[in-house]
Amino acid sequence: MGNVDFIKFDHIVKRFGDNTVLKDINFHIKKGEIHALIGENGAGKSTLLNILHGVYSEYDGELIIEGNEVKFKDVHDAIKFGVSKVHQEINLIPELTVAQNITLGSEPKKGLFVDYKKINLDASKVIEKLGCNFKATDLVKDLNAGQMQLVLIAKALYHNAKLISFDEPTSSLTDKETQKLFEIIADLKSKGITILYVSHRLDELFKICDRITILRDGTYIKSVDVKDITKDELIKNMVGRDVSAYAVRKKERCVQKEVTLEVKNLESIGVFEEISFEVKKGEILGFAGLVGAKRTEVMRAMFGADKKTKGEVFLNGKKINTSHPYYSVKNGIGLIPEERKTQGFVKYRTNFENMSLSNLDKFSNKGFIDYRKVKKNAEEYTRKLNINPKDINYLTEGLSGGNQQKVIIGKWLTTDSNVLVLDEPTKGVDVGAKAEIYDLIEELVHSGKSIILISSELPEIIGLCDRVMVMKEGRKMAELNQNQLSEETIMKYAMEAE
Amino acid sequence: MNFVKAGIMDNTTRKSVKLKFGRELITVIALLFIVSIFTVINSQYIQGNNLLDIIDQTVINGLIAIGMTFAILTAGIDLSVGSILAIVLVVIGKFLVNGTNPAVAVILGIIIGFILGAVNGLLITKMKLQPFIATLGTMSIYRGLAYTITGGQPVLNIPKSFRSMLNGDIVGNVSISIIILFVFAVICHIILKKTKQGIYMYSIGGNEEATKLSGIKVDRTKLLAYGICGVGAALAGMIMLARLGTGEPAAGQGYELNAIAATAIGGASLAGGKGSIPGTILGAILLSALKVGLVVVGVDTFWQYIATGAIIVIAVYFETIQEIISSKMKSRKK
Repeated sequence: MGNVDFIKFDHIVKRFGDNTVLKDINFHIKKGEIHALIGENGAGKSTLLNILHGVYSEYDGELIIEGNEVKFKDVHDAIKFGVSKVHQEINLIPELTVAQNITLGSEPKKGLFVDYKKINLDASKVIEKLGCNFKATDLVKDLNAGQMQLVLIAKALYHNAKLISFDEPTSSLTDKETQKLFEIIADLKSKGITILYVSHRLDELFKICDRITILRDGTYIKSVDVKDITKDELIKNMVGRDVSAYAVRKKERCVQKEVTLEVKNLESIGVFEEISFEVKKGEILGFAGLVGAKRTEVMRAMFGADKKTKGEVFLNGKKINTSHPYYSVKNGIGLIPEERKTQGFVKYRTNFENMSLSNLDKFSNKGFIDYRKVKKNAEEYTRKLNINPKDINYLTEGLSGGNQQKVIIGKWLTTDSNVLVLDEPTKGVDVGAKAEIYDLIEELVHSGKSIILISSELPEIIGLCDRVMVMKEGRKMAELNQNQLSEETIMKYAMEAE
Repeated sequence: MNFVKAGIMDNTTRKSVKLKFGRELITVIALLFIVSIFTVINSQYIQGNNLLDIIDQTVINGLIAIGMTFAILTAGIDLSVGSILAIVLVVIGKFLVNGTNPAVAVILGIIIGFILGAVNGLLITKMKLQPFIATLGTMSIYRGLAYTITGGQPVLNIPKSFRSMLNGDIVGNVSISIIILFVFAVICHIILKKTKQGIYMYSIGGNEEATKLSGIKVDRTKLLAYGICGVGAALAGMIMLARLGTGEPAAGQGYELNAIAATAIGGASLAGGKGSIPGTILGAILLSALKVGLVVVGVDTFWQYIATGAIIVIAVYFETIQEIISSKMKSRKK
C-alpha cells in the first residue's frame, strides 16, 4: 500500500499577473505517508497548498489524485472530495459550537431544518475518537489554540478525509499539545490517511515525517526520504546557500555596566504577579517560558500598551511615565510585537510610511511632513537592513514575513530607540531571514542598545541571550546567567510544578 | 471571489502602489462618462450655467462628505452629520436674528460643529462605543436638540448680510459657497497628506493597534477626525442657512447617506485606511451631475434614487474588479 501514488503534481504552474510563483512543479505523495513540504517564505508552499485545497482554481498543469485529474472549484469542493486542511491561522467560527463548526457547510437536515441532534451525535463520535477533552456543544471561542486545532482535525475526519495537510500546526501549541498532535498524526497515518506537513521547525520533520519535498523560489528542488538527509543539507537545499540556522553570537559579548532600563514591581492583577528586572547597555535579556507564561503581557504593561496595577519604569536612572506607548516611545523604548499583521505594520501603507510612523517629528518642518527626508531615511534603512524589495514604495503587507519584520525594525531604528523589545521576532520567518535578524540583533547591542528578547524557540534564547528570565503562568521562576543556559534548565523552570 | 482574494494577498497589492492615482482616475472617467451620456441626450447639459449648477449643488454634500472622509478613514463613521447641520443651522440662525455679527457667527458655527463632532469622538474613544452606534445615538440626540432650541418652529428672517457673505456671487455667477468648498477641501487635503495627524488617521484606519504601539495617541487623533467631521457639517449648515434664509430644525435629514455615498464612490473603504479628499469631491460632483442630468433629460425624480443607488453599488464593485483588471493587463502585456 505504501508505494501507491496518492497525489501527483504534474507540471503545475501558477502566475499572478506577470509574476510566476510556481514554476513547473512535479512530484508525488505516496498513499499513507507523512510528507513534509518545506521551503523559505515565498518558496511557493502556500500557493501549492492553495491549489491542492481549491483556493486557487486557475492554474496550469494537472493535479492528479488516485490516477484521476481533479480540479476543485473551491475549498468546500476539496473537503467533500476528502482533501482537508488544518490551517496556520485557524479558520473556525468562534460563536458557533464545536459540532456546528465540524459540520459547517454540509449539515444533516431534517426536512427544512438543521438536525442538531444528529450534528451533535456525529460530531461527538469524531471528537471522542480523537480523545478530545471538550464537548461537541462547547462554543469554539471558549477553546484554546490546541483544542481548536483538534476541531479542525475532527472536521477533516467528519468529511472522510483521505488527505489532511497541516500548515505550521505547532506554531501556537505548547510542548504538551505538540506531543499530543504528533500522536494523533501518527494515528491518522496508521488509518491510511495521507498527511502533508508544512513547518519551519525542522526538528519536527525528523521526528514524524517519512519524506520531504523541498521548494525554493517557486521551483521544485527535490524529494528525499527523511533518513537520507541531515538538517544542514536540508537548510542548504532550502536557501540555496550555506546559512547557519542556529542562533549564535558571532562577535564578542558586549554587556556594559550601565543599566539602561529598570522595571520595578510591575504587576497586573489577574494577569501576572509582581516582577522586577533590569537590562544593561549592550545586553540581550531573554524571556523564556511556555505559551501562557504572560511574557508578552509583561512587556505590553511595561510599554503602556495595556493597563498595569502598579509598577515603575526607570530609564537611565530616571523614572519615566509609561501610561501610554506615546511616552515610552518618546523616551526611547520600542516594541516589536509578535503579531506582525495585526499589531506590527499598517495596511495600505508603503514601507517608507511604515518606517516613519513612530517618529514623524523627525521629518516635520513647521508642522508639515517633508517626504524627501522620509524617503531618504527609508532608503537608508532598506539598504542597511537588506530589505527586499529595495523599492520603498512597495506596500508592507505584500512583503514576506522576514522583510515585514525588517521594516518594523527599521521603524524603531528611525526612532532612535535605545531599548528594543522583540517579541518572537523570527516567528513565521524563513531560515535565511532568521539568520539576518540574529545578526541584526547582535549589531544593535554592539551599538550600545539594550534588547529584550521574548522567544519560544529555546535555541534562540540560549544562543543569543546574555541573561534569561524564565516565566511560568505570570510568575518569574528563575533568572539565569549565560553560563547556566541549557534547554533542560530552562524547561525545568518553565514547567516546574507548584 | 477566491481569485480576487488571492490577487490581493499575493502580488497585485504590492504593485498597486504604482497605480496610486488609479482610483481617482476611475472616478474622473465615470464622471466624464455620465456627463457625455447626458450631453448626447440633451446638449443643454454641457452648457456653462448647467455645469455651474452641478457644482453649486455639490457644495452642501461636498462639505459634509469631506468631513465624513475623516471619520471613515479612521475606520469609523458619523451618522449624526445631518443633525449637526441642523443644530448649527438653528443656533446660528438665532444668533444672527439677535444681531450677532455674521463673521463672528460663522466662527461660532465652526466651533459648535467641532464640539458636537468631538463629543462623538469622546463617546467612541473614552466610552469605547462603536462609531455606528455612538453616532446613531447622537444623530437622534442632536436632532432633538435642534427641535428643542426652536420649539419646533423654523428660524425666520436671516439677515441679508449673512446670506450674501456665504452665498453671494463672487465672479459672474460663481457663488462664494463654491470657494468655501474649495478652500475647505484644500485645507483638509493638506491636513491628511502633509501633517502628522493626517498620516495618523490613515494609519489608524489601516491598523489601530500597530499605530498605538508606534507611540501615537490614537484617541486624540480620532477626536480630531470627528471634530473636523463636525466642522464640515457645520459649514454645510451655515451655507444652507444663507441659501434658504430660514433655519428649519428638520433640515439635513438623510444627508449622512449622501455623504457616505460620495466618499465610497471616491474610493474610501468603510473598513478604514483608504480614501482621499479629491476622491470624495469627485464622488460628490458625480452624484450631483447625475441628479442634475436626470432632471435635464426629464426623468422622473423617483428614478434618481434608483440611479444613485446603482452608482454606489457599481463604484464599490469597481474597487473589487480593479485588482483583477490590473493584474490581467499586466499578463497580457507579457
